[in-house]
Amino acid sequence: MVSKKIRKILYRLAESLLAVGIGFLGGAFLMLLYGYDPITAYRALLTGAFGDISGIYETLSFATPLILTALTFGICVRSGLFNIGAEGQMYMGAIGAVMIGGAMSLPAGIHAATATLFAMLLGGLWSIPVSILKITRNVHEVVSTIMLNWISFWLVTYLITYQLTDPMRAERAVPAQETARYTVIGASLTTIFPVVIAFTLLIYFIVWRTTLGYELRLVGYNPEAARYAGISIPRAVVMSFLLGGLAAGLAGASQVLGRPPSWTVYATLGNLVNLGFEGIGVSLIGRNHPIGIIFAAIFYGGILHGGRFMEFEAGVASELVRAINGIIIVALAIPELLSMVSGVVKRRRGKEVEAG
Amino acid sequence: MSGEVLVEARGVVKSFPGVWEHLILDHINFDVRAGEVHALLGENGAGKTVLANILSGFYTLTSGQIYVRGKPVHFKSPFDAIKNGIGMVHQEFTLVPSLTVVENIALMLRKHNPLSYPLKEVRERTLELSERYGLKIEPDRLVEHLSLGEKQRVEILKVLYWEPDVLILDEPTSVLTIDEARELFKILRRMAEEGKGVVFITHRIEEIMAVADRVTVLRLGRKMGTFKVSEVGKDELLRLMIGEMEPVRYERGRSVEWGRVVLEVRDLHVLSDDGREAVKGVSFEIHEGEILGIAGVSGNGQRELAEAITGLRKASRGRIRLMGLDITNKPAGEIAKLGVRHIPEERRRMGVVEPMCLAENMIIREYKEKTFSTAGVIKSKVITEHSKRLVERFKILTPDIWDTEVRILSGGNIQRLILARELWKGPKLLVAFHPTYGLDLKAVTHTHQHFMELRQKGAAILLISEDLEEIFLLSDRIAVMLDGRIVGTLGAREATPEKIGHMMAGVGAS
Ligand SMILES: Nc1ncnc2c1ncn2[C@@H]1O[C@H](COP(=O)(O)OP(=O)(O)OP(=O)(O)O)[C@@H](O)[C@H]1O
Ligand SMILES: [Mg+2]
Repeated sequence: MVSKKIRKILYRLAESLLAVGIGFLGGAFLMLLYGYDPITAYRALLTGAFGDISGIYETLSFATPLILTALTFGICVRSGLFNIGAEGQMYMGAIGAVMIGGAMSLPAGIHAATATLFAMLLGGLWSIPVSILKITRNVHEVVSTIMLNWISFWLVTYLITYQLTDPMRAERAVPAQETARYTVIGASLTTIFPVVIAFTLLIYFIVWRTTLGYELRLVGYNPEAARYAGISIPRAVVMSFLLGGLAAGLAGASQVLGRPPSWTVYATLGNLVNLGFEGIGVSLIGRNHPIGIIFAAIFYGGILHGGRFMEFEAGVASELVRAINGIIIVALAIPELLSMVSGVVKRRRGKEVEAG
Repeated sequence: MSGEVLVEARGVVKSFPGVWEHLILDHINFDVRAGEVHALLGENGAGKTVLANILSGFYTLTSGQIYVRGKPVHFKSPFDAIKNGIGMVHQEFTLVPSLTVVENIALMLRKHNPLSYPLKEVRERTLELSERYGLKIEPDRLVEHLSLGEKQRVEILKVLYWEPDVLILDEPTSVLTIDEARELFKILRRMAEEGKGVVFITHRIEEIMAVADRVTVLRLGRKMGTFKVSEVGKDELLRLMIGEMEPVRYERGRSVEWGRVVLEVRDLHVLSDDGREAVKGVSFEIHEGEILGIAGVSGNGQRELAEAITGLRKASRGRIRLMGLDITNKPAGEIAKLGVRHIPEERRRMGVVEPMCLAENMIIREYKEKTFSTAGVIKSKVITEHSKRLVERFKILTPDIWDTEVRILSGGNIQRLILARELWKGPKLLVAFHPTYGLDLKAVTHTHQHFMELRQKGAAILLISEDLEEIFLLSDRIAVMLDGRIVGTLGAREATPEKIGHMMAGVGAS
């Protein structure tokens, strides 16, 4: 019976692999339709993403912020919350990193750490209104996070344009100073990557091994039973959004303090936009589980990075590349989406659960 | 009883590979004939619900074959079964709480044809059926505001709506009063006379004797035999069900000196979910070593009373004191910490977290205590040991501690889990809502013994139940609750079922 858990994981893995297969087939079909050679294209994608060390660095670098924004979504799902606020919280994190890392001078060593923590703090703070609105006014988090995403977008744009502008180049904010930058490992990968992995493992530990995580999950599964257990639901809601906010804030920091060559944010937020939303897909692919999310983000990063090689080497039109990526990602996210939906239905109807 | 065979299961096998190593149903033959009530008997976890679910299309079978009027059928969904004239009333409620009674009944129609939602028509037919079978309901109330007995009636109507030839009822009487159960039996007999077949699952042998024509006994997935009720004795059924006859006798503890007042309730008023005043000025106290039974038809304010005492619901007026300490409207967690435990009314909804494993369910009360966590980190080894001990002691049938969601446990085993968790520590005050709901005979006896031990040790117990027999067996004093008030309290010696029954019905309160 020791193998029960392993069996479950293998089953999930098989499901995901099947989904990958279906996604790639769908993409291939699309390419054939438009007269491209799917074999060459996919070879280009894979070798581009994972074929050599610099490809792998680049892929991991793409994955870094996605791991975090996916965590934002994944943590909250555990408490039954549908948090799509990673986007705005990440902007806040990024601007926080600029404030400390770019606009202030601190000794090396503590500079990067302070900037990172401040970024996380801002991301976390940006989640507070969501909790307050939910608890006191019963405003659904989807509504409040969308609003806050926009507020954050314009606020950060304003700050970059008028307060934190790079004196050399007006289209962006002051870049992080040397002392605040994480060390480059290779290509655009920096030492923030191991920090992010450590943070993710910490989240894993919190969710599954601590009383706080226990409370969060209990509230997510069955608020009625949580009340019965004497758990304060408002507190759980706040903590859940807060942890998510910290993750998103770190994602913002990673794009400023840990991402060459620009080490900053553009006034268009072009190097940030959508990373938060893409996290939702990554979280679904990773089954909303911290460890799953790491692998899902790397896969996703690989597709993003490798996709460019389909364009260069197999000549596939860039719009088509995006469509193919989309197909693969949707196919991957579907198993978890289905199980989230059917989980709700089953709970309602008390229907059979075939243990997978 | 030579009626046509309406449904037949032949050689039915059900397994849950990866969860259970043994077969949950091991080559079961079972049939229901027109004009009969066929009872299913067996201990908790014997496979009664699984078999019923297979007959009604909720579960698929691993191997074997189902026949309807001699024709082989393959049900892919409950709807297939309904189309073949088989309907089931579940052990646990399946209604959508946020919809009204009529809307709930109309939901199934919608499945048939997503565009049709003829509420008016459904309403009329529901009222007609409720009239015809004497199932009293209020069609426009929200289901979440109904009592267990009322929900039960809606569940039955929901199935009767389809005029099934075969009606399967999974432990329908566990939440009913004796009178309500008698009413139900009349309905079942009437249906049998109309030529329908009825499958009736229960743990009470007297009920089988009273209403069934045949009985099939299951034991851990195996069939022990099918008998005519007129030709089989109570003792033999017991022996088949449990194995060697353990004396199912039960000793009422010697009466205990009452100690200090543990719980004092003064002029308590509590609102129900829909804002009506459900508890209207209730006062009583319970002493150390005392069991106070609250008898009454469900829906007379019992749930609100229990929830106010345990901190799950606000009192609008009045005082609740525990050992002299004012606990009125204190948070549930704080009250629990003072040694109050609660066996809730709806076990799957409130009593457990279905998608969590047994171990995590076991620590709901004490996860913050040093025994089970240090500095916020959960001690899984200790919890494993703790859970194992309780599984053993309360004989919970579970495949494991950490790997399986408790959702898959049988109804009686869920109840055992809750009992284990709420009783092991020896509470100061226990608020117990029909604590033996769905337990098999042996487990009922064990639970009663446990209650007696707690009482001996000086615990105060508030026992809320519709099961008068249980109330009489355990209580030192019996209070009757009617329409939000306590209409009378009798000592165990002066109380008789007649007196209590009269009070419950609202005649001649003393
Ligand atoms: N979906 C499932 N997956 C795995 N095991 C299951 C599932 N459903 C039921 N079981 C197991 O099958 C066994 C029989 O369950 P069943 O619910 O039929 O018992 P029962 O006879 O109705 O008991 P009770 O009197 O407690 O209601 C139990 O051990 C239960 O845990
Ligand atoms: Mg059952």
